[in-house]
Amino acid sequence: MEMLQKDMEKMAETAHPEIPVEFSALAGERIVIETTELDFYYSAESHALKKVNIRIPYRKVTAFIGPSGCGKSTLLRCFNRMNDLIPGSFLEGKVLIEGEDIYKNGIRLEELRKKVGMVFQKSNPFPMSVWENVAFGPRVNGITNKSELEEMVESSLKQADLWKEVKDRLQASALDLSGGQQQRLCIARTLANKPDIILMDEPASALDPISTGKIEETINELKEEYTIVIVTHNMQQAGRISDYTAFMMLGEMVEFDTTKKIFTNPREKMTEDYITGRFG
Amino acid sequence: MLQTETKPKHYQKVIRADRWARRLITFGGYGIIASIVAILLFLAYQSLPLAKNAAIKTLFTFPASQGPSKALLTGIDPFQEIFYILDEAGHVQFYQTAGTKPLSEAQLPLSGNEKILAAAKGSLSSELFAAGTDSGRIITAEVRFQLDYSESGRAVIPSLSVKEIWKIPAAGKAASSNAASSDTLPDHVEKLAFSQNEDGSRFYAWVDHQGALWVRSYDAEEEVDYLHPLSQYLGESSVTALTISNHGENLVAAAANGIMRWFDLKDLEKAALRDEWSISNGPASALSYLLGDQAVAIGTAAGAVEVWFPVRTPSNLMKFRQIHSFRSHSAAVAQIYHSSRNRDFLTIDAEGAAQLHYSTTGKTEVQFPRPEFSIAAGAFAPKSDGILLVDAQKRFTLFRLDNPHPESTVKALFGKVWYEGYPGPEFVWQSTGGSDEFESKLSLIPLIFGTLKGTLYALLFSVPIALLAAIYVSQFAPFRLSRIVKPTVEIMAALPSVVIGFLAGLYFSPLFEQYLMSTFVFLILLPLIFLAGVAAWRAVPESYRMKIRPGFEVLFIIPVILIALQASASLGHPVENFLFRGNFQQWLYTTWGITYETRNSFVVGFALGFAVIPIIFTVSEDALSNVPKSLTSASLALGASRWQTVRRVVIPAASGGIFAAIMLGLGRAVGETMIVLMATGNTPIIDFNPFNGFRAMSACIAVEIPEAPVGGTLYRVLFLTALLLFVFTFVLNTLSSLVGERLRKKYARF
Ligand SMILES: Nc1ncnc2c1ncn2[C@@H]1O[C@H](COP(=O)(O)OP(=O)(O)OP(=O)(O)O)[C@@H](O)[C@H]1O
Ligand SMILES: [Mg+2]
Repeated sequence: MEMLQKDMEKMAETAHPEIPVEFSALAGERIVIETTELDFYYSAESHALKKVNIRIPYRKVTAFIGPSGCGKSTLLRCFNRMNDLIPGSFLEGKVLIEGEDIYKNGIRLEELRKKVGMVFQKSNPFPMSVWENVAFGPRVNGITNKSELEEMVESSLKQADLWKEVKDRLQASALDLSGGQQQRLCIARTLANKPDIILMDEPASALDPISTGKIEETINELKEEYTIVIVTHNMQQAGRISDYTAFMMLGEMVEFDTTKKIFTNPREKMTEDYITGRFG
Repeated sequence: MLQTETKPKHYQKVIRADRWARRLITFGGYGIIASIVAILLFLAYQSLPLAKNAAIKTLFTFPASQGPSKALLTGIDPFQEIFYILDEAGHVQFYQTAGTKPLSEAQLPLSGNEKILAAAKGSLSSELFAAGTDSGRIITAEVRFQLDYSESGRAVIPSLSVKEIWKIPAAGKAASSNAASSDTLPDHVEKLAFSQNEDGSRFYAWVDHQGALWVRSYDAEEEVDYLHPLSQYLGESSVTALTISNHGENLVAAAANGIMRWFDLKDLEKAALRDEWSISNGPASALSYLLGDQAVAIGTAAGAVEVWFPVRTPSNLMKFRQIHSFRSHSAAVAQIYHSSRNRDFLTIDAEGAAQLHYSTTGKTEVQFPRPEFSIAAGAFAPKSDGILLVDAQKRFTLFRLDNPHPESTVKALFGKVWYEGYPGPEFVWQSTGGSDEFESKLSLIPLIFGTLKGTLYALLFSVPIALLAAIYVSQFAPFRLSRIVKPTVEIMAALPSVVIGFLAGLYFSPLFEQYLMSTFVFLILLPLIFLAGVAAWRAVPESYRMKIRPGFEVLFIIPVILIALQASASLGHPVENFLFRGNFQQWLYTTWGITYETRNSFVVGFALGFAVIPIIFTVSEDALSNVPKSLTSASLALGASRWQTVRRVVIPAASGGIFAAIMLGLGRAVGETMIVLMATGNTPIIDFNPFNGFRAMSACIAVEIPEAPVGGTLYRVLFLTALLLFVFTFVLNTLSSLVGERLRKKYARF
């Protein structure tokens, strides 16, 4: 951990002289995730990511947009190695998180995933109580002290804007919550692990507008403390909450820039067509 | 909508097909329920008669016949058509149960006004009796019932044939100190007991007018007589009752002071006193050995009815002990008759009241309606399906006795019973013995215990293996491996249990016995070597470790098993020598008193495990694989290791299915027949010790039902066992779905 910290500082200092042109918008940002020439194959025939280069800035919200099947989720899952679970898949190229190659031998997956949390598209609370759901991460990471856990649960639920709604029913089954509450519970569950990075794969796609609004609010508050990467199909949402946006297409990274630039004056014709809804 | 309008015909067809399908499915469902209920009802119907109490029904009463002579003895033919009566004048009168007047008559050769004082039957299979007279003669005679088939149908023709007439030794020969007054009386037979065994040898015991007790043993083979005066054993008190066992080997005599004596007549050349004891409820006024020649029914002057039989003492002596006491009479017991089919016996008191008792269960089964005149004699019909009572006026009453299952009371089936020859009350299953006189022991407890024991050992072996395998295959195994393992286990389920039982019983159990020590060493060594291996694995540099594809770590167990096998094979003997003085079985016996059976519960647990593992594996593997990937992903994404994920998320979510799997396995183990039949010694003992066998309910049914006479007690008890098994599995299944449902509600709402 200490080493990582030092690496990061060094990286921030040297300010990446070799940053490719596309990432000029990131000048001055500290880079947390970086991929170089990343290729991902679900199988030898299914080439899902093609030579993807991307940089994710520190404590900013980065949105991935692109047509369905273009590989946004796949890329996201490369960041916490959830793709490892898919039998027959393999990866070429590098993924650096805070300067460290997370695919090299000796990486402890549990450590990585604790640091890089993930919120899934469909809320997936455990069939346990609300409290147990939130305490799950700390517990599997070895925290047994009851009061410490209580504190973590409360602060995480507060951060996820859920505390007020569930503080009286912490022992009720998480499955009794509404869909929106369940998704915020999943966020709280991720937060309880005190991650550095939170990956969100279309966290609001299954929710009604009010719940979506709440989630967006939560994300806005969270970006003060976390690096957030979010996949979304909702252009307005990307516009509202993200600082940077990456546009992907057919497994390739087409364009990366500040959200403002992408939405007002994209460099690529393809990006413009997608944003204006000419295809997608 | 549009389609239904354009194609109404097609739509109707669909509806019709739908309706038919629904009917068929409904029919099928109800059919299954109906057949289950039908099986249940059938089993209950077959076993219900066990619960029936004895019932009597008066078939007819024959009016008093002529003659003032007192009735002494009576009997009836197996078809209950002809009965006879012997009176004190030596008349034998035959009557027809259908008619109203005497059929014919015969006369014992008595001289002048010689009178019969005592008469006793002496055979289980024929109407053989002995009669002792007031002139000291004992006449042995037999009533025969011959079947005659004429054109008018079957007729039973009775006849009387005299076998032997002899005179008792003259009075005065017996050692008697103050015989002055009695010397003037003629010799006569006061009391008489008689028995003829299957060789034709006869045993007579009598008390003469001087109160002397004698035994005469007649050896039919050698044609020699032995006379044994027994008065020297008696002391001052006079003999009040006598009984000789049905095969003539034992004599029990009661004295007026309450002392009972047991003489051994087995050796025809002598009569030896074996035991002496006293009874407390007044002197015995009537005695009878029961079927089986062990138990003696005692009726006392105070009206008490008891059963005693000899029990082995710690010093290896046989001593009579009181086992049961029955409902008392209000007057002195005058006569006791026993059934020649079972442990029933009839007691008649001086006031003429009669009761029927069953020795094994200690139950008084019937109180006969009180007659107008006191009963003089009684008899069981040869098949024990009727009882004949004769009053002093020679009035007969024939009762039909409906008591097909006297030995199966709730207490006998589920409680401890003190059986003849046993040191105390015990749970025993021993349904048949060498002879018809065998006292059947039908306690279901050893069978239930056996089933539970087998199930327990099977589950101890199979649950951990099956569950761990299911967890591995569903959560860790690479697809290529699980694709092979799953169908293999399913094939294992298709293995006929006969084959498993055969292999276990004939191949595996001797092997196990041979390598007993090595097996134990293996069981201890395997985890140790495994842990050592894990430690060694940890020491391997990470870069090498990472080269193993996840899920293939399991291959690491192969060398571990091989090493453990090799080590235990070579360590077996040294360990046995070192710890158990070279012979474990010997050690087990001398130190713990445990006998080692080749076909023991270890073997059965192992073999049954083979039948149970596929079920538990398949069902729980299904449940585990059905836990949604989203839950596992969530857990892994939170930094849980794969094992933590399995333990904290997957297993709780699949707990309903796992529970159901174990219950199904349990049900299978409980119901499994062939394996327990072939791989155990089938000894119905109650003992948790894994080195001996057991008899399971299912195996017991399989073994004994072909031998059980249809409608008999054993037959019905086996049906009751089947009913119990059925209820047992039914309860298990219900429990499993109830608990499974609750667990699913709690953990598996995804
Ligand atoms: N488990 C998998 N096995 C094989 N191929 C997969 C798997 N998951 C995704 N793919 C393929 O990889 C490609 C990229 O999929 P991915 O899920 O990353 O798309 P996406 O951009 O997230 O799409 P969406 O917006 O619809 O979620 C698709 O062509 C998809 O079919
Ligand atoms: Mg996706």
